[in-house]
Amino acid sequence: MENDTERFDLIILGRGAAAFSAAIKASELSSGGMKIAMVGVGPLGGTCVNVGCVPSKYLLEAANAVFRPRHPKVPGIEPASVKFDFSELMKNLRSYVSHARDTKYVRVLENYGNVKLFTGLGRFIGKKTVMVSDSEGNRKVVLSASNILIATGSRPSVPNIEGLKECGFQTSDTIWGLEKLPKSVAIIGGGAIGLELGQALLYFGSDVTIIEALDSLLPQTEPEIGKSLRLHLENEGMKFMLKSRVGSVRAEEGMKFLDVVSPHGKEVLEVEEIIVATGRVPNTEYLDLNMAGVKTDQRGLIITSRNMKTSASGIYAAGDCVSKSMFLETLAAREGVVAVSNMFGEDIEIDYNSSTWAVFTNPQVAGVGMTENEFASQNGSCSFRIFSLENLTKASIMGETDGLIKITVDPKTNRIAGMHIMSPNATDIITEGAYAVRENYTIDDVVATSHIFPSISEGIKLAAQSFIRDITKMACCVE
Amino acid sequence: MEVQKVRLRIYGMTCDDCAATISKSLKGEDGVLEVKVSLEDGLGEVAFNPERVKPADILKNKIFAKPSHYKATIDDQ
Repeated sequence: MENDTERFDLIILGRGAAAFSAAIKASELSSGGMKIAMVGVGPLGGTCVNVGCVPSKYLLEAANAVFRPRHPKVPGIEPASVKFDFSELMKNLRSYVSHARDTKYVRVLENYGNVKLFTGLGRFIGKKTVMVSDSEGNRKVVLSASNILIATGSRPSVPNIEGLKECGFQTSDTIWGLEKLPKSVAIIGGGAIGLELGQALLYFGSDVTIIEALDSLLPQTEPEIGKSLRLHLENEGMKFMLKSRVGSVRAEEGMKFLDVVSPHGKEVLEVEEIIVATGRVPNTEYLDLNMAGVKTDQRGLIITSRNMKTSASGIYAAGDCVSKSMFLETLAAREGVVAVSNMFGEDIEIDYNSSTWAVFTNPQVAGVGMTENEFASQNGSCSFRIFSLENLTKASIMGETDGLIKITVDPKTNRIAGMHIMSPNATDIITEGAYAVRENYTIDDVVATSHIFPSISEGIKLAAQSFIRDITKMACCVE
Repeated sequence: MEVQKVRLRIYGMTCDDCAATISKSLKGEDGVLEVKVSLEDGLGEVAFNPERVKPADILKNKIFAKPSHYKATIDDQ
């Protein structure tokens, strides 16, 4: 170890949700005594607050405020036009992101005198030693610690499409700098990011086409929900090219032309802007993980146990750089806590099964636990019910009956194995599903629990009741 | 039997009594042979019989378990 090595109790590589969650937990457990180095580049807070959840939800709220008056759901109310200044709106979005970053990260860190921030790229030069360098690779400082947490996150992946880079495109990292609403947009990728951005731009007035390689949307959820959401978005004017791929892209006279290979043959799509939303890749390639003996999978994601331990002793990982199937800010924060708790000798595991995920389209989509297919393939059989929002009084009153609630249970015990929802406020009411999956509630537990009438959450109770009776022949509020 | 040693980084100690309390509790752990706790450095050195106890078990000693405010991590630098 070199003489100028600065010693810490914990080095955290990264400064996003997982890093902050871990730093705060470690500070709490050690009563502020743990000497922590936090190493990273880019704005504090990482993806979620800067280019993820926060700006995308701001954009969607603004888009809804424009869209709803134009499309009233109550007979007797006439459509009303809403004037908006897209450039001003985006300026305020960026201002809000700055405010959120400042209040939730920058100023929070000021409360933790035991955390020292290092701006630069960190990479392993030994099992417990990290070198921090500037963007040109010049050494700034060397750090060492008994415990190291890798929480370097991820960034948008960009497919290798001929002409794409030369043509120019947006990603979920760059789109927040838009000043002018594009008249037409092609979004490559029909996952959560593509659909959220697509619907927001559609509501503002863009002509939006989603190009998706699979034959359905949101493969992580129930197929009925993917299909229902697609039909809803199509009715709103969104166009879909499923089972399609982009062969090449070229630019001419300010427009972009995508050569798309679809089941209908070759098509040319002309748009003003392209958004790439084809997934994310981990920020792990510059870490020199081999120096520390940390193993990754084929995608470069760090392999961990459920304790968030990597293959190297004393080195943990959390967040989007971890090999798993769900990449969520909330999960990253929890993984950070699990990792740190285990450094202190606890023996806790991350619970992916009861982790909730969501897509903030209108209507929203949210899920927890296993789908029908997942449970059936693991256990040979399952029992499920699909409850349509057409049978939900609150949804009828709102005029928003596109959607469903699907519950999957273990037929041997009636315990709820999974819940997937497409409805208004799905992101709020899915928490009931999280409790049910985490605590092994049965459908009888849900039925026996009071739900407000009329409400969207009542749909969960009705979905549970549909296991024991035909709810189309049921009066309101039958227990 | 080969005696092994592990160093602990101990948090939450404020006085000599804290160090003594932690030391006493660790000495009561099956397989622990000798304990030296330094209030000044916030460190503890534990000699143990690896056939009867492991460093991870020492971290789980009741003195470091909730609701105790004493916490520790392995210090292997």
